This record gives sequence, C-alpha cells and structure tokens, in this order.
Amino acid sequence: MIVFEHVSLEYLPGRFALQDVSFTLNAGSFTFLTGHSGAGKSSLLRLVARLERPTSGDIQVGNIHYNQLRPRQEPALRQQMGIVFQDNQLLPDRSVFDNVAFPLIIGGYRYNDIKTRVSAALNRVGLADKALENPQVLSGGEQQRIGIARAVVARPKLLLADEPTGNLDPDISAEIMQLFMQFNASGVTVLFATHDQSLLDTFRYPRLQLHQGKLTGAPQEDSPAPAARGRQKSDHAR
Amino acid sequence: MSTEQAANAAGPRWTYGKRGYALAQSLRQLKRHKFASLITLLVLGITLALPVMLLFASSALQQLSSRSIEGESLTAYLQDSVSDLDGAALSIEWASREGIRDTRYISRDEALALFRENSDIGAAVDALGANPLPGAIIVFPDSNVLRAGTVEALAASLRQSEAVERVQFDLRWVRRLQAVVSLIQLVGGLLALFLTLTALLVIANTIRLELSRRRSEMEVASLLGASSFFMNRPILYIGALYGLLGGVVASIIAVIAFNAIRQPADDLSSLYESTFRLSHPTPSQIGIVLAVSIALGIVGALSSMYRPSQQLTQRGSNGK
Ligand SMILES: Nc1ncnc2c1ncn2[C@@H]1O[C@H](COP(=O)(O)OP(=O)(O)OP(=O)(O)O)[C@@H](O)[C@H]1O
Ligand SMILES: [Mg+2]
Repeated sequence: MIVFEHVSLEYLPGRFALQDVSFTLNAGSFTFLTGHSGAGKSSLLRLVARLERPTSGDIQVGNIHYNQLRPRQEPALRQQMGIVFQDNQLLPDRSVFDNVAFPLIIGGYRYNDIKTRVSAALNRVGLADKALENPQVLSGGEQQRIGIARAVVARPKLLLADEPTGNLDPDISAEIMQLFMQFNASGVTVLFATHDQSLLDTFRYPRLQLHQGKLTGAPQEDSPAPAARGRQKSDHAR
Repeated sequence: MSTEQAANAAGPRWTYGKRGYALAQSLRQLKRHKFASLITLLVLGITLALPVMLLFASSALQQLSSRSIEGESLTAYLQDSVSDLDGAALSIEWASREGIRDTRYISRDEALALFRENSDIGAAVDALGANPLPGAIIVFPDSNVLRAGTVEALAASLRQSEAVERVQFDLRWVRRLQAVVSLIQLVGGLLALFLTLTALLVIANTIRLELSRRRSEMEVASLLGASSFFMNRPILYIGALYGLLGGVVASIIAVIAFNAIRQPADDLSSLYESTFRLSHPTPSQIGIVLAVSIALGIVGALSSMYRPSQQLTQRGSNGK
C-alpha cells in the first residue's frame, strides 16, 4: 500500500526532516509511527499525503508512483485518503455537521449521500447529538473526533492519523484508538503517528520508529501484536 | 434516534453542491462584513455612476447630433432662365441622387412670398415691379454625408448643373454642435475609462482582503484535496457579486441623477427647439451595465487571486 524508497526531505538545505527512509506497509495493515517531537512524523505523513515533495527518493501509494504524478492530479489523490491532522484543522465558523461534510462537498457527493454519510460518521465517533454545535465550543477530545469523522466520511482505503490522541486523557485516547482499530478491521490501512508511550505499550502494533529523521530498528519482530488479526502483517524494510 | 438528529443538522440542499457552496460562502462573507461591504458597494456605485450615465445618455446625445443634422440643408439658386417646370424636374431628379435624402423646389413666386413675409423691405421689392428672386432647390443631404464632411463635394457636383447659378450652405451650427458632442463623448469616454479602471482596482483590493479572510478555510480545503478552482470559486463569486451589486447601485444613482437634471435639460433643449430628450434607460442598456460590471468583478477577482493560491500547498498541517 505504501512504499518508501530512500526518501529524504530537506526543508532547508542541509537540514533533513527525513533522511534515507525506506519501508513498505501492506494494504490492510495498522502501523504506529513513533518518535520524539521533531523526529519527522508529521513530515512523513505529509509526504504520503503529497502535501510535501521529497527532496530525493521514491514514494508509491497504492499503484501510484508519486514521481510520475502531475500537480493537477494531487488534489484528487488526497481525496482518496483520510487524514487526521495534528491540529485538527477544523473550520471554526461552521457546524460540526458541515465540517464533516466538507470533504464530501469537495468530492462532489450528492445531498442525500452527504446526509447519510455524515450522520453515520458522526454516529460512529459518538457526536451525532452535537451535529449542530460549533466545534469551538466543544472539548479537545470532541474536536479530535470531528477530525476523525471528517477523515473517514468518504470511506477512504488509507487513513493517516497525526497524533489523534495528543493531549487527551488516557481513557479517551483508548476510545479513539478503538475507533481506529474498528476502521482497520473493516479493511482500512492505518498509519498512526503518536508518541504516547502508554498507547504504544497497550496496543502492540508494528511500529515505524523515527529518530532525527531516520528510521531506527524495524521492530515488527519484537512486537507481535496481541490484539492480533491474522492479515495484519506489515513488513518494514530498511 | 440520534443519527436522524444528525441528518437534520444539514443546511439547505443547494449549499452542498460545489457551486451552491461557493455561492453560499460568498453571500455569507458579504453578510458577515455588512458595513464594509456596504461601503465598498457605495464606492463602486458612485465610481461607476458617471460611466453608466454616459451610456444611458448616449442615445440622447446621438439623437441630438443626428436630429439637428436632419434640419441642415444646401440651397442651390437657379439661373433666372430656368423655368418653374425645369426647376421642379431638376429637383425631382436630384432627390433620387446618392447622398441626398430629400429636395424641395421653391419657385420664384414662392420665394418672393417668403421674402415678403420675412422681410421689412418687401415693399421695396414690390417697387421693383418684376420679381428679382431666382428659383431655388433646397437639398437635404443624407446625415452620413454631413457627418463625413463630404458636403463640399456634394455642393460641387450640384454646381456642375448648368441650371445652377450658385450653391450656398452654412454648416457652422452643425459643425459646432458635432464638435461639442464629440468632445463630450471623448472626454466622457476617457473619464468613464478611468473611473471603470478605478472600480476595477477597488474590486481587486476588496477581493485581496476577502482572500486573506478566507485563507484558513482555503488551507483546510487544500488539505482535504480541493482543487484550486474549488478554493477560488467563492472568491470569483464574491467578485461577480460585488460587480453586480455595484452595477445596480450605479444604475440607481444614474437614474436619480437623470431625474434631477431632466427638467433643466428639457428647458434648455426647448430653447434651441431641439427634440433632445433624456429618456429612461432601456432594458438592454441596463443589461449592458450589469454584464460589464459583473465582468469587472470577475476580472478584479482573478487579478488578485493569482498569487496567493500558489502558496497554499506549502502551508503546514502541523502546528505552526
Ligand atoms: N515547514 C517547515 N519548514 C522548515 N522546517 C520544518 C517544517 N516542518 C517541519 N520542519 C522541521 O522538520 C523536523 C521534523 O518536523 P515534524 O513536524 O515532521 O516532526 P514531528 O515528529 O511531527 O514532531 P511533533 O511530534 O512535535 O509533531 C523538525 O526539525 C521541524 O523543525
Ligand atoms: Mg507532528
């Protein structure tokens, strides 16, 4: 599903956010992306979402080779993914419903389709009764769940989550984690960036570990997933 | 059930289509900044009012110059030897010539009668015993001949006829009027051009402000895979809306101004026995005003949106 080959990203010359990163994630897998603050987690996700271009190296997602992608095709590519942003990126002047509906408007969905999908997604994250609220008056955890509902509302095959449990109580974190596991169980490939150690300890999925822009240790052997499903075999090459 | 409750939170159907969304956004933007939008619309309306007035008055101006042209004529005085019959025949022949709209033959008797009516020395003429006045043909040229300034050529061709003694014409009044009207049209046109450019700048500047207000929404849209056209469409619509409403305000101002100057203009034109009338704008004139002002709005929006949208994808999804 996602293949990185010797991918490097320099925001400024000589300062690598990512350096020579290579790995492969299978379709249907659930993978943690970990590392200290500044290790390059968000940068890696932005590369997958084509919000950033690598300085060197090849990226392939599905059967799309990014170096053959024309800029005009990038928006359509992004519509195929669900992305939960580290800072949520909600629209403050719009209801919860309209926030979640936004990707569907962009995708040109029909009105009735939008109504069904948005209410299903809100139901899924437990916010059906907050549909009319303004996101700004909701709690941090609720806001994060709006972001999640928005990411899954178009039923993407790939879900990228950038610290969706950042700054949340452990039990809310676990709840959100459950949500992602449900999506994964329905066949969605999940790449989940977090530096929440308790989450990593509780849910022993394979990890991509970043340290100052480089992948360290491909730990899929030493962390056999106990919450295991058979098909979830990510293999990390380095 | 809560799912249904959530579905009820949907807004009206039309706001969820791509175009409807853009329209709803642009209306919302105007509504949210009511006062600023109102001021902008007034500025646009006042700026565009003069060009609009010129357009509305253009047909009246056109009429002014062509109507007065219609009254213009040349007079060909015939030789004394030409009989009334020959004179009348020549008049009829000329009437069918190119460049001549109409002719009228004035016999020697008629000329004398006219002279008596209009002159104090009629009695003196009587004293002469014989009629000293020649027959004459009054020639009304086509208005395009007058406009093109080929009256001299026409006069020369009339002079070629043996029956004609001399041709007399005085076009100073037409020339003067035409000069005044074309000056009004030129100066007015230039002013209108400058004012229209000003309106364009006002719109472009306003749109730049709207763009900065929409920046964060455009960023989110970009992150979610919106094309740049999707992101720019509300801005285009705002431009078109400003143009449309600006055109409406300008038309209203123009109509009010016309009503204010109609009476004095009529008084003036009656002094000159002119048929000049400031008429009400026609639907097609209003159509032109609205179409042009919408186009102005769109061009203004396009001119200010080109650069900002280029930088969008470089913005972070991460905390800045
Ligand atoms: N737009 C940018 N321009 C310049 N440098 C950047 C930019 N974005 C990130 N960086 C740098 O790249 C490095 C990796 O940043 P990144 O945001 O990917 O880290 P992260 O692992 O997501 O951190 P965090 O856990 O704090 O979110 C950091 O050193 C950061 O300063
Ligand atoms: Mg980050």
